[in-house]
Amino acid sequence: MKQYLDFFRAERQRIDAGSSPLLNQRRDEAAAALERLGFPSQRVERYRYTDVAAAFAPNYGIQLQTAEKVVTDLHPSASLYYAQLADIQADAITALNTMLVQDVTIIHVAAGERKQHPVQITNTLSATAPLMQNRRLLIVAEAGAELDVIMTDKARGQQDFLTTQVTEIVVGEGARVGFYDIEDTHEHCHRFHQVFARVASGGKLTHSVFTLAGGLSRNQTDVALVGQGADANLLGCAITIGQQHVDNNTLIEHISPACTSHELYKYVVDGSSTGAFAGRILVREGAQQTVSEERNANLVCTNQARMWTQPMLEIYADDVQCSHGSTVGQMADDALFYMRQRGINEAEARTLLKQAFASEVLGALPLEPLRQRLQAMVEHRFRSCEDCQLCKPHD
Amino acid sequence: MLEIKNLHATIDGKEILKGIDLVVRPGEIHALMGQNGAGKSTLSAVLAGHPAYTVTEGSVTYNGKDLLAMPPEERSHEGLFLSFQQPVEIPGVSMVNFMRAALNAKRKYQGLEPLEAAAFLKLMRERRKIVELDNKLASRSVNEGFSGGEKKRNEIFQMAMLEPTLCILDETDSGLDVDALRIVAEGFNRLRTSETSAIVITHYQRLLDYIKPDIVHVLIDGRIVRTAGPELAMQIEQQGFDWIKESV
Repeated sequence: MKQYLDFFRAERQRIDAGSSPLLNQRRDEAAAALERLGFPSQRVERYRYTDVAAAFAPNYGIQLQTAEKVVTDLHPSASLYYAQLADIQADAITALNTMLVQDVTIIHVAAGERKQHPVQITNTLSATAPLMQNRRLLIVAEAGAELDVIMTDKARGQQDFLTTQVTEIVVGEGARVGFYDIEDTHEHCHRFHQVFARVASGGKLTHSVFTLAGGLSRNQTDVALVGQGADANLLGCAITIGQQHVDNNTLIEHISPACTSHELYKYVVDGSSTGAFAGRILVREGAQQTVSEERNANLVCTNQARMWTQPMLEIYADDVQCSHGSTVGQMADDALFYMRQRGINEAEARTLLKQAFASEVLGALPLEPLRQRLQAMVEHRFRSCEDCQLCKPHD
Repeated sequence: MLEIKNLHATIDGKEILKGIDLVVRPGEIHALMGQNGAGKSTLSAVLAGHPAYTVTEGSVTYNGKDLLAMPPEERSHEGLFLSFQQPVEIPGVSMVNFMRAALNAKRKYQGLEPLEAAAFLKLMRERRKIVELDNKLASRSVNEGFSGGEKKRNEIFQMAMLEPTLCILDETDSGLDVDALRIVAEGFNRLRTSETSAIVITHYQRLLDYIKPDIVHVLIDGRIVRTAGPELAMQIEQQGFDWIKESV
């Protein structure tokens, strides 16, 4: 951690010069929080499945942008919402990101405006030496606005990358936001993505995270349902192989009455990879008529692969309808044999079963063209996977 | 031609088949009868190559090839079809994708190009009608939510698609009412050619009223203890198995 604080102190002037006052004015408190918090050890509940310190230990070059490119007249919504939902004081990665980030992507939709087409963001990592990148995204949908955002992470070349991203999503009264996060990088990419969302009365949030390829991925998604009748739909799908590690950690907070939340995460864990899911549903006192459903289902394909799952439900209201559960299973032998008896070879049968397993999450995506595209990406992922040595069935 | 010689097989170290000898010639229908636990389903599983069973002794050749040396999918390509006693549900895999993968795998094995989408769907439509399988079922996931009768019809439908030369019907009659039994059996009979042979595993004469066997075998404790013509099935229907047990 010291290397990041040292870098910040040494390069403070350059960092500030390449950024805007709004971001600069939050750096000191972020640095102080990071110094105080330190990187969370695996004894910290929310980080028990990922070794943060190890991921941040290597020496990465930290990307800085120069003063010429700076946009200082940020959209007015930035000063209202930047670093408001993101909890700098409680989370070291959020603090680190806030300390170093120079750029914020702002997507603002005015009240009542309905965007017909999704906004698509593609992040392509490319470097000649190990690189750290800190990204920031702010999505604001004012009352009654509607918006979909698709974000795809790609990487070019086999360099080591470390990415932090903090995403803040403000869903106004009766507004609707879809945020679809797709990671399709490679085994040398380490990614920490902290999402903080707040949904006002009658607002709807759909958040999905697909991990198709990567090295280490940690996605933390915090959703606060603050207004009556707010709704959150969280979807996740992780397809892991080799030494890959995917850790999805979610918190859905029911604060107001009559809010609804649905959460479905599915993992196909292959090779020697590890998957982790921890999903906490917190129903606050007074959040009556809460309806909440959480499910995590996992297919563990080899004896070397590991899956950790921890669905959590905490209820402090008495008139609620909540369910949570998880399953961890292996490839169904009877289904494999049935398919082989019909002439489908074992590798193909396994591929079909994996695709079938993931298809439930795809089917739940509300955006039809995205669903079709992801269907193809998932199929491609499983198929090219069959050709690689790491994926061969283990006995 | 199928030739089984002195076949012994175990599961979890327990011997179930204790020396089976059986020859099935092209076009012949063999009925295999016996009580629960006699080894009938084990024989069908071993012939299909179920990985849970270990063959400890004996040999099986099919059309001159060593069947036991082949993985299950190759046995399928060589013309062996097992109609499962309990067809497996595969959520998320549509019947169409499943059948396309199966049929094109066989065509590849035969050195043929995959079937064009339109030709494949036309074939599906034609073959579906033979067992009166609803179009809706064909568009659903494999066997998911099918009734018992629909699952058995779906087995015969798959047989119609794959055109096997040796069919093993493992208690295809179980769980079927008379109408469903007739549809399934008539479907099978329509699909038969003079070269198609079959091993029909059943407890009862009922199925054999529709699929008439040339030869009937009785399996007790992992061995075939009696082989005779169709009259043997009638005799079992009337007198049960005890008289055979007493005589061996």
